[in-house]
Amino acid sequence: MRLTNVSFRYRRRDPLVIEDADAHLAPGDVIELTGVNGAGKSTLLRLLAGLARPTTGTISERPPVVGFAPDRFPASQPFTVAAYLRHMSRVRGGARWEPWAERLNMRHLLATPLGDLSKGSAHKVGLAQALMAEPGLLILDEPFAGLDADTRQALPSIAAEVAGRGGIVIASDHQGGLRGLPGLRHWSMVDGRLKEGTAAPAAPPPSQATVAVTLPAEELPRFLARMREEGFQARELDTAEEARELPPAAQGRETLAPARPRDTSATREAEESA
Amino acid sequence: MIALAAFRLAAYVRSHRVFQALLLTLALLAIVHGSRAPRGAEATVLVDGAVLLVPVLAWAARSLLDTEPDRQREMSAVQVGGRGKEVVAGLLAAFAACAVFAALGLVWALLLGISGSPPPGLLLAGLILYAISALTGTALGALTSRAVLPSPAVSIMALLLGFLAMLLLSATSLYWLTVPLIPWMKAANSGELLGAFSTLAWISLAWCLIGLTAYGWLRRRS
Repeated sequence: MRLTNVSFRYRRRDPLVIEDADAHLAPGDVIELTGVNGAGKSTLLRLLAGLARPTTGTISERPPVVGFAPDRFPASQPFTVAAYLRHMSRVRGGARWEPWAERLNMRHLLATPLGDLSKGSAHKVGLAQALMAEPGLLILDEPFAGLDADTRQALPSIAAEVAGRGGIVIASDHQGGLRGLPGLRHWSMVDGRLKEGTAAPAAPPPSQATVAVTLPAEELPRFLARMREEGFQARELDTAEEARELPPAAQGRETLAPARPRDTSATREAEESA
Repeated sequence: MIALAAFRLAAYVRSHRVFQALLLTLALLAIVHGSRAPRGAEATVLVDGAVLLVPVLAWAARSLLDTEPDRQREMSAVQVGGRGKEVVAGLLAAFAACAVFAALGLVWALLLGISGSPPPGLLLAGLILYAISALTGTALGALTSRAVLPSPAVSIMALLLGFLAMLLLSATSLYWLTVPLIPWMKAANSGELLGAFSTLAWISLAWCLIGLTAYGWLRRRS
């Protein structure tokens, strides 16, 4: 796939959002696209997806099957997750979506109306619809935003798989989630100009802390579900004593809740170690 | 493309937006065919019903096309393989919805609007006329949908004024510059419907196609 002198403006007399972009994308490429807000990243992704035409220049040799996962999935639609994915599968000529529901850890969401999904869960639906047809060009706009830890970890290997069978993956990403991948290309948008450089080194792991939370037993399942939904590793401890014996420096970022707290009031207390 | 049209129809029904147009259609038909017309007025009843349904059908088409969020429309275009196919799928879905409402109007007119049974020629003309009505509603609704006119206020005004403009222009000698709604009604009233049918049908079809092409052209960037 090739971009030749691609420039784009939304309306006549508007300033150019993208200026003279030249690039060649080969099968198997994984590209990380960065840039400040408003730099033109999403516009470039729309051009690559074929959703907008360049004002000048050409984009040629686009693979026939394109997968596009937007940064914000449009959840205000009158379908459950399963009904939506079934429809998308038919649009894709019968592509299999079930393996992706499994892989993206969203089987428990299948009966949930799209409008009731959290941001991260809705994002997974957007990823599943983009991945189901084995795209030759996979475009991901901020794919790591709002995802839980398991899916964040799975996404680079999914990108590598798509590239491994000859697909092109391009992801706009502020979080550096793909930086562990070998051969990753790095594009940046600076003032509407596309520049290619070496990928920045992988960011050091964030500092981590383990906290113990005491809460009424009946609130536990909902609390754990919410924490997991927000990307934290959360688990239930056997006893409150175990919570007090936490190591000074924990290996993971965990929220630990005792199973039968003595204090069953609504007050929550947290101890932070590390 | 058919699967995408089915997806959009399903969204239209499941969002319950379909009931807005359905209730409006039922209210209109109840008023238009409130009393059964005498024998000999079959053509007038059929044509009046088809013409008066046009704004309701346009409302239905606009509502169907606006059900899909803008971002989903983009995703649909990628999934189906291009903007053009997405536009055609939307028009197919809108026409299917309009055709159902138009069929309801035709059946209501035949069962409750007229006294005798119309001759086969008139029945066939009525069938084609209601199909043209559905096509006109689809074109007007598409041209006033959110993808073309993002402002809801401008959009609904454009729909109503567009229908009024069609009525006014078609009442003049320049009736051939739009879908000739008034000449259809005049021909039915004067008993010359079958004689004028071919000319009026071709003019109507031509303007519907021009409207749908204009919609496709306007959608090339959105």
